[in-house]
Amino acid sequence: MDRRTFLKIIGTGIAGSTAGNLMTPGKSSAADSASGPEFYGILVDTTRCIGCRRCELACAEVNGLPKPDISETANETVFKSPRQLTETQYTVTGSFTTEKGTIFVPRRCMHCNQPGCVAACPVKAMKKRPSGHVTWDSDCIGCRLCMVSCPFDVPKFEYGKAVPNIQKCNLCWERFTQGVLPGCVEACPTQALIAGTRRDILDEAKRRIAANPGRYVEHIYGEYEAGGTSHLYLSAVPFDQIGFRQDLGTKPYPEYSSFYLKSVPFVATLTPLLMLAVGAAVKSGRNGLEKREEKHEEKGKH
Amino acid sequence: MSRKLLFLVISVIYLVLIAFGLTLVYSIDTSKPVKQTVSMAKDNKISIAHTEIFGRLQRPQVVFDHKKHEDAYRKEGCSVCHPVNDKKQVIFTFPKQVRGKGRKVLMKAYHDECIDCHKKSAAESKPTGPVTCNNCHKKEFARLRMNYPVAEFDFYDHNKHVRVMKEKFGKSDCGQCHHTYDVKDKKISYSKGAEESCYYCHDLNKKRGPEFAAITKAAAEKGLSVERISHQSCLNCHLEYRTAYEQVPNEQVHKIHREKVACNVCHPSNDFKHAASCTDCHIPLDCAKCHTGKYRTVEELKDVPRPDRGQKDMVSLDTRNARMKSVSFSHKAHQADSRTCRGCHHEGLRACASCHSLTGGPEGNGINVASAYHSVFAGQSCTGCHNKIKANKECAGCHYYVSAMNIETMNSKKDTCASCHAGKQMSMPKPLPYSGSVKEDVQIDVLAKEFGAASFPHRDVLNKLVRISNDSKLATYFHRDIQTLCKGCHHQSSSSAEVQMPQCRNCHMADNDRHHINKTRLISAYHRQCLGCHEKMEMTKGIKCSECHKKNTAPLEITQLKNQNVVRQNTSTILNAWHPK
Amino acid sequence: MAGEKLETIAVEQKTEDRPQINSFGDFWDYFKKELKPRGNPATAFNVLSGSAIIFGAILLLIRFTTGLGQPVTNLSQSFPWGLWMGFYVMSGAAFAGGGYVLAFIVYILGVDKYRPLLRAAVLNALLFYVFCSVIMVIAFGRWWNIPNVFLGNQFGASSVLLVVMWLFLLYILTSAFEFSPAVAEWLGKVKMRKTVGSLAMGAAALGITLSVLHQAGLGALMVMAKAKIHPLWYSEMLPWMFLISSVYAGLAMVIFEASISTKVFTDQMDDENRQARSDVLVGLARICGGAIFAYFCLDIILAQSEGDLGLVRNRMGYWWLLEIVGLVAVPGLMFIHGAQKKNPVTIQAASVIALIGILMNRYNSVFLAYNWNLPFAEKYYPSAVEFLIAIGVVCLQIWVFRWIINRLPVMRKGPEWAAKIDKN
Repeated sequence: MDRRTFLKIIGTGIAGSTAGNLMTPGKSSAADSASGPEFYGILVDTTRCIGCRRCELACAEVNGLPKPDISETANETVFKSPRQLTETQYTVTGSFTTEKGTIFVPRRCMHCNQPGCVAACPVKAMKKRPSGHVTWDSDCIGCRLCMVSCPFDVPKFEYGKAVPNIQKCNLCWERFTQGVLPGCVEACPTQALIAGTRRDILDEAKRRIAANPGRYVEHIYGEYEAGGTSHLYLSAVPFDQIGFRQDLGTKPYPEYSSFYLKSVPFVATLTPLLMLAVGAAVKSGRNGLEKREEKHEEKGKH
Repeated sequence: MSRKLLFLVISVIYLVLIAFGLTLVYSIDTSKPVKQTVSMAKDNKISIAHTEIFGRLQRPQVVFDHKKHEDAYRKEGCSVCHPVNDKKQVIFTFPKQVRGKGRKVLMKAYHDECIDCHKKSAAESKPTGPVTCNNCHKKEFARLRMNYPVAEFDFYDHNKHVRVMKEKFGKSDCGQCHHTYDVKDKKISYSKGAEESCYYCHDLNKKRGPEFAAITKAAAEKGLSVERISHQSCLNCHLEYRTAYEQVPNEQVHKIHREKVACNVCHPSNDFKHAASCTDCHIPLDCAKCHTGKYRTVEELKDVPRPDRGQKDMVSLDTRNARMKSVSFSHKAHQADSRTCRGCHHEGLRACASCHSLTGGPEGNGINVASAYHSVFAGQSCTGCHNKIKANKECAGCHYYVSAMNIETMNSKKDTCASCHAGKQMSMPKPLPYSGSVKEDVQIDVLAKEFGAASFPHRDVLNKLVRISNDSKLATYFHRDIQTLCKGCHHQSSSSAEVQMPQCRNCHMADNDRHHINKTRLISAYHRQCLGCHEKMEMTKGIKCSECHKKNTAPLEITQLKNQNVVRQNTSTILNAWHPK
Repeated sequence: MAGEKLETIAVEQKTEDRPQINSFGDFWDYFKKELKPRGNPATAFNVLSGSAIIFGAILLLIRFTTGLGQPVTNLSQSFPWGLWMGFYVMSGAAFAGGGYVLAFIVYILGVDKYRPLLRAAVLNALLFYVFCSVIMVIAFGRWWNIPNVFLGNQFGASSVLLVVMWLFLLYILTSAFEFSPAVAEWLGKVKMRKTVGSLAMGAAALGITLSVLHQAGLGALMVMAKAKIHPLWYSEMLPWMFLISSVYAGLAMVIFEASISTKVFTDQMDDENRQARSDVLVGLARICGGAIFAYFCLDIILAQSEGDLGLVRNRMGYWWLLEIVGLVAVPGLMFIHGAQKKNPVTIQAASVIALIGILMNRYNSVFLAYNWNLPFAEKYYPSAVEFLIAIGVVCLQIWVFRWIINRLPVMRKGPEWAAKIDKN
């Protein structure tokens, strides 16, 4: 099954799909689609990021989140401790000291090609849009399985509220429908972030690596990680030095649960039949035994 | 009753185990413990661990005090602990005898020699060392990491040895140290004019070409690593000359030193009954004297004459049948800028072309002469070495953005090639002139909104670049023309263009070009060029916003959703892909 | 025809024994009568558990008004699931496994020896799932949306949780049906008893299927947390491991419950029943031992094949060894030893240890070995409120369980008319 079929299935839900397809989250990597609408994504070139945090401010503006203080004095203290996404920050920039100096890495939702969070959501509150945006809406039941299933630890839950939401970057879905670039891309003063179709940004990433021998490690993070993501990263140092996990594998995360889901219809139809068959067999076997015993007893009486 | 007790005991055991486990689980500390690092050289101590053989150690390593043992056996000599070969050279290995291989054999050899000797000394009621496990394998050593600072026999040391040997001992025979090995005859020989570095044969970790590989193999079979042979050759010789020094009568020593050094140099705290050892200053024997942990820089080695092996000052690099003009290469200038010979001459002291032929071949490891000179990443090639220098902070400001001189990536131009391939001896160009004619300050105000205009000290910057260029021989040679420096920022301007110095905004538009995602927009062009250069040059100024900009007002909305959406909706082809009509 | 006539006569003869319920009003009156406590309500247990329930209810009020964060739970962005999901949803379902395993043994394999334990096991399973659902409502942040899982066309078809929640619902219905003969006997509904009794085998087969699926499904919930769970606990085979461990977890719960019931609900049991108990326990212990043996071997093989055995030498390794040896292998051996020597005390002790082992295993995959490499400050440990609410729910479950045991023919034999229906 290719990726579009996967989308169709997670898009159409139970109605209209056969049971076999229904439970199959699909297995394709990002690489196999050469035609058709491509996912939209962002290429992050960490060699260009200067750690100004204007993407954070823009993100807060666009999404109505509390605005961070991005003055130079604030930046000095902020970068001292490791940073993680929170329920009020869809994007944060971390600072890493490496052999090639300080490297700033803006992180946000990776918008996987086949997101674990979308596959995990029982009510399709987490959606993979045809354009690649992974968005959340209020059908959510708050089970937080998306948080468990996300290999990048992106979805955040508002524990402090009685009506809590899952908060995560949605690649500026609203702005996208209006034809505007994502806030962070718009705000970046050095174009460390560029937005485009995944094919285009992947080409651009490869071009940069080829054109600047020795500047980048020859790895585009997100090309194959977790089945491929719409956010791609370029780096001058091995990715584990700037806070990226290298052990996620290239298998799309929904595939981990696909064996179970595929076997559900089979088990559901075959087990009752098997149980009844075994039950009947045991019963008839016992009846036969009893009859023979009876006969035996009768013979004994004679 | 007993059953109840049993239950109680079992449940308590389980409770303790689980509670212990929980404390473990909750106290996992992922930050690695910082080991204490101790320098070996400081007090002549050696770590005995042999993790390459023992793997994970059962007991802590032993930190062996070599100085103590050396002093104790000053009279008896090194041969008490170290074996001696048939030339009466001490071989600096320990234990003396290891019969066979493997962990147990090695452990036994150590324990036998150390403990036996300690016991013997104890029996003779001499001062002795520990004989029980924990006194050698001390717990405190477990977290100790020994650090062995490097010792380098560089041009300075080489020159000093040549000079002292000649002046003091009248020996000008290089064969005392240098030799070659004949694999067929299995003999060591020396021939004048063919001296090489020890590393070519004795660096057992490096893969060499067929010629040296045969010798290295023979050296490896005998375990003659650089580490071992340098101790063997250096120390045996030093030991010999120490005796020579010590035999000099006191009057003569005083006569020599009286003029030159103060008394307390040899008689610390003016104790005239005893004197310091000659080896404190001459003929070093202590670890720290050679293992300084420092490499002398090119600058420090500038005035040291390089070993004379008959090399020419100017070499004409002319590959036969290559259509390129020959390169006139100043070996003299380049050797003065190198710390070692083997940095370039990676496979013996010979010409590059002796292995790397025009078309390449197995004798040159498949690398043809063009790659041998132009490979971007090889440290031995011309281009590779120049690129390394271009990565220095003085050069990186511009050169980070200029593609490396690579046959693949660069647009090879005649004048670029011709700067080396001149076919004649090139002279060093004149230093670039300091400019008074260019604009002094440039106001960058096209985008001024949230921040005020930036004032760019155009002339100062240019003059600084000129100074940097003039300070470096490499830069002076290649930056033949002030235009070269201009191109560092005005990267697309060319002498044949209609406008020689176009403005940034001529190409870079104010907004993101969504049809060409690679295209840099104006704000990024400024920031990447300015900040990138400042960062790469490790400047302290011009990094923070306020150092270039004045803040105008309260920040505007960074993302201007409302104004822009109408225009863009129809122009974006990207969007059309998902919203087909 | 003749048999039916006989039966009607027999039933009519006993009419005065059973309650006459012909309308909802009758049922309501009867229910109100039955709801009243029997005996002295002011025992120490009642006072303690009652106050725990009331206290839990008050704390729940706080949870529903302020949300899940501090001070209610210690859950964080790194630990989205904690005590509640670990205890009730993950372990609770495993503890309820007795319902389907016993149904398989009794209905499918026709081993009548275990029939006296069946109803209690099914009731236990039913209650566990009902309270599982209650806990889900408490633990899920946007609980009012839970109907979305069952209604509407917003089904996340590739979600394991959707499948699990549907299976929970279906299993609650099925086990309620499996339990309904006891309700029919309690209410004296002959026709109803006859109908449900005849469908028992079908219900059992369905219940087993649903159980197998959702026991495995609980393992499949954690399968996508590959990057977070310590490799010693994580495996892509987690669904299988959860399924196999639910077999012995359920039986251990049955054994544990039976040993408590013999003391607490003495009045519910006749002598015949009581004497058969030890024999039954021995049989169950044998099955338990076998299941544990299978689980133990598979776990070791999985760890070996995934190359994780090298990890046992550090802290998490100790914790894993303690679980797999101390809390799985040891009770397994105790089960087998106890079955061999017919020693009920050993078996009961083994069941307690095995249950703790299951609890540990589920906690490990939910929070102990989940994001295990975080520093202590970011680690999750259940807050007092989480504990108190969980205790309150457990107490409530015990109360309901006790009420049903005391009213309905669960442990004791049903009325004679019911036995007659079964015979025909």
